[in-house]
Amino acid sequence: MAALVETQNLKKYFKSGAGMVHAVDDITFKIEEGETVGLVGESGCGKSTLGRTLIHLNESTDGKILFRGQDVTKLNKKEMVKFRKDVQMIFQDPYSSLDPRQTVSDIIMEPLKLDGSFSQEEIKNRTRELMDTVGIEKRLRMSYPHELDGGRRQRVGIARALALNPKFIVCDEPVSALDVSIQAQILNLLMDLQRDLGLTYLFITHDMSVVKHISNQICVMYLGQMVEVCDRKELFAYPLHPYTKALLSAIPTTDIHNRRERIILKGEIKSPINPGPGCRFASRCPYADEGCRQGVKSQEVRPGHVVVCNKAKEINQL
Amino acid sequence: MAEELKNKTTGHHGEGGHDGHGKGKKAKRRHHIDASIKPGSAKYVWASISHNRGAQFGMIFIVLIIGLSLLSPYICRYEYSATDFAAMKAWPSFKHLFGTDDLGRDILSRVLYGARYTLVIGILSTVLSAILGIIMGAVAGYFGGAVDSCLMRFLDLFQAFPSLVLAMAFCAVFGTGVDKCILALGITGIPGFARLMRANILRIRNMEYIESATTINCPTWKIIARHIIPNAISPIIVEIAMSISRNGLASSSLSFLGLGVQEPKPEWGQMLASTRNYIRDFPYMVIIPGIFIVLTVLSFNLLGDAFRDALDPNLKD
Amino acid sequence: MAKTRENFFGIRHLTVKYHSGNSIIHAVNDVSLELKAGETLGLVGETGAGKTTIAKSILRILPESSVESVEGDIWFEGRQILDMNDKELQALRGKSISMIFQDPMTALNPVKTVVSQIAEGYRQHQNCSKAEANKRAIEMLEMVGIGADRAEEYPHQFSGGMKQRVVIALALACSPQLLLADEPTTALDVTIQAQVLDLIRDLRNKLGTAMILITHDLGVVAEVCDKVAVIYAGRIIEQGTLQDIYDHPTHPYTCGLFGALPDLDKDVERLSPIEGLPPDPSVIREHCDFMERCPYACGKCKKFNNHMIEMTPGHMVRCWKANEEE
Repeated sequence: MAALVETQNLKKYFKSGAGMVHAVDDITFKIEEGETVGLVGESGCGKSTLGRTLIHLNESTDGKILFRGQDVTKLNKKEMVKFRKDVQMIFQDPYSSLDPRQTVSDIIMEPLKLDGSFSQEEIKNRTRELMDTVGIEKRLRMSYPHELDGGRRQRVGIARALALNPKFIVCDEPVSALDVSIQAQILNLLMDLQRDLGLTYLFITHDMSVVKHISNQICVMYLGQMVEVCDRKELFAYPLHPYTKALLSAIPTTDIHNRRERIILKGEIKSPINPGPGCRFASRCPYADEGCRQGVKSQEVRPGHVVVCNKAKEINQL
Repeated sequence: MAEELKNKTTGHHGEGGHDGHGKGKKAKRRHHIDASIKPGSAKYVWASISHNRGAQFGMIFIVLIIGLSLLSPYICRYEYSATDFAAMKAWPSFKHLFGTDDLGRDILSRVLYGARYTLVIGILSTVLSAILGIIMGAVAGYFGGAVDSCLMRFLDLFQAFPSLVLAMAFCAVFGTGVDKCILALGITGIPGFARLMRANILRIRNMEYIESATTINCPTWKIIARHIIPNAISPIIVEIAMSISRNGLASSSLSFLGLGVQEPKPEWGQMLASTRNYIRDFPYMVIIPGIFIVLTVLSFNLLGDAFRDALDPNLKD
Repeated sequence: MAKTRENFFGIRHLTVKYHSGNSIIHAVNDVSLELKAGETLGLVGETGAGKTTIAKSILRILPESSVESVEGDIWFEGRQILDMNDKELQALRGKSISMIFQDPMTALNPVKTVVSQIAEGYRQHQNCSKAEANKRAIEMLEMVGIGADRAEEYPHQFSGGMKQRVVIALALACSPQLLLADEPTTALDVTIQAQVLDLIRDLRNKLGTAMILITHDLGVVAEVCDKVAVIYAGRIIEQGTLQDIYDHPTHPYTCGLFGALPDLDKDVERLSPIEGLPPDPSVIREHCDFMERCPYACGKCKKFNNHMIEMTPGHMVRCWKANEEE
């Protein structure tokens, strides 16, 4: 099966006072249709930028983005309009992602109206249907975002994203701003929608337990680069990259009898401005040597399990 | 399937008694406004303002003073410039309700007639600075880069001087009179509006809902017209009310200094200036125009505050 | 009452109301807590549950303009905090009780070096020379893992995790007996959070400081606390030791919180969220606060008067069904 979305050596650099910020640096990966790919990493690792670049909210600096085999960076205006209908985004902050001056129904209707191919009647019906699908009560139709709680706002954002039947949705930390009990409601909703509508997600988050719950495939990102890519079960059973290991060990657990052994990282995080060659994790890695600082290569250590670490085999005794 | 989903996710919301917090808050602060009126609509703004005590006072005073000022030639017993040497420096009485000044002119007639200068200068100079300021601010904020830097450095020139000093300098160059006064105050007010507009545009441009509008194929001009401007305009409306009061006061200051409206036209500030020598023996001559200046400024400020409350959809206290 | 007074720290029947527009917000309702010297209590709850209000009441730093009333008793080493005058409060804050806030950036003065900020705080309470205070400040920084070479730097030169270390050093400089930590790691990344939690645990063991840790994260509580109080709609609905709460969660809300959490060690197909939303804080209810969201609610819950039921010694639950279910 061909991948729905694929990137080849994708790069996105930003200019800053001190030099070029390598927010996304040479990333190659693919997302199969109907799957959820989880993208995990800590703040500033470039995961949000990658998501935005993928759906062309940011212009990429270099590299290819293929959507159904077509290069997104080379689309003309008309093709871009069509592409935008197929890809959507759900934003992190349910407070700033909705226009405070639009009512709930205005927000959900807007993409339908802009599309121009629906009659008034169809728009009304579709809006009602979408509100049903995401679970917003009809009486809230004329409410403004500030009158709603975070969970409901996020539902409105999801309804807007679903309006034109997209194929691929980038979810940028959709539950991190919500309380635990509401977070579970939204996660369940997203999973139900995927099953019912056959959606493909790129799920961006910093929360390992959320990503484990929702993804099929997981990519771990560190300072603009992927460090480990594999199947969800594989990752949690056999984390191979030293960073992934530290990340997993750092998560506080509610199991008070079996505590994980914790790997505490030392050393400073490398700056993403002109990072130079070599492994970017080397400054904090307990196993790093001179070779790691010179260059690093990716290798498939186990079937379908790619690690970007020179010493993956050595560390894990494979 | 969708039906089942709906039941799962909405079934529990139906029972009353635990609506979202936002709902509760809204009910609290705006309990006096009919719940069927939606915030954001013009009707709502009107309802909110007409329920605000301060705004009620402000509106009544402003309407009253404009009306009386226009009608003053018909309702006043004396002409504003008519001198009555028989009743010079007369204390308030039934004959002259507010008394007369040093030349025997009726202060009531002068105060009411003079309102038109203060108001006209305040309003027209604000219109001038608002139009130019909004355009410059919007251009600077939206395009950014070199355009932004050039416009903003240019406006910095104006802001390098205290605005009243700058207005005085303009008056000194252009000459005195109502039109010159409007021009001087209008120009000095531009940077304020431009900066406010620019800051608003910059803030809104980085909001996620602008990004999300891009993802649903919203054309750039529609993003500006539908999402950016409506969200940027409410602080401007507030600033307009505030600017009218400020410029009204400034026109009085300029006239007081002899740079604005000239004798025998009865601008309030100019009335203060010409009678200030009598403040000890005949304080009413100074106090009465002073009270009118204060009340007018206060009215516009109260109205501005009421607009701020009515237009802010986020209910920030 | 007498029992609380003997204890190191205690809160009895604390009720805090705010006014907002024309209505009263019942932020904290009849909260009682006790803490022995050296103990760590985790205060868990969702946004708006009243956690931060409790911490601010302890230090008496509630925003005066919006507070309607604060009732109840807060005892610290035999003294009533709510009756203290300004001078006594000054002596209490920072010296005997100090607080760590969620956002490390706003807690530090950006135009002063970190060492001078800590030294200044120390000198306010300790009668000592500038040199002594500086020495103490450098000691504190070293204790939290910041070398003396970085002491003369400004807050913006530190990363988020390092800044939070400075804040911790600042809070601990006067060796307080009680530390209030309000979401101290929420703004930090997981790997940095692990470092900071480690540090907090170490320091507590070394210095014997008692601590109230306020958080929404059940995982963080499990890492550091001895006792736990779960708060919902301004009331403590369940409290007990860490084992009581994590091994035998009893209140439907506590169980719900655990169920809503995706678990790293288990595979669950579907999460079980707590349906609905927290109740309107401007309404005071005659019945159980959680009734509308509770999967086990029945007619009898309407008559429940919100009293605590003791399951085992020290494990208190605010649900009349608690005894019957097990």
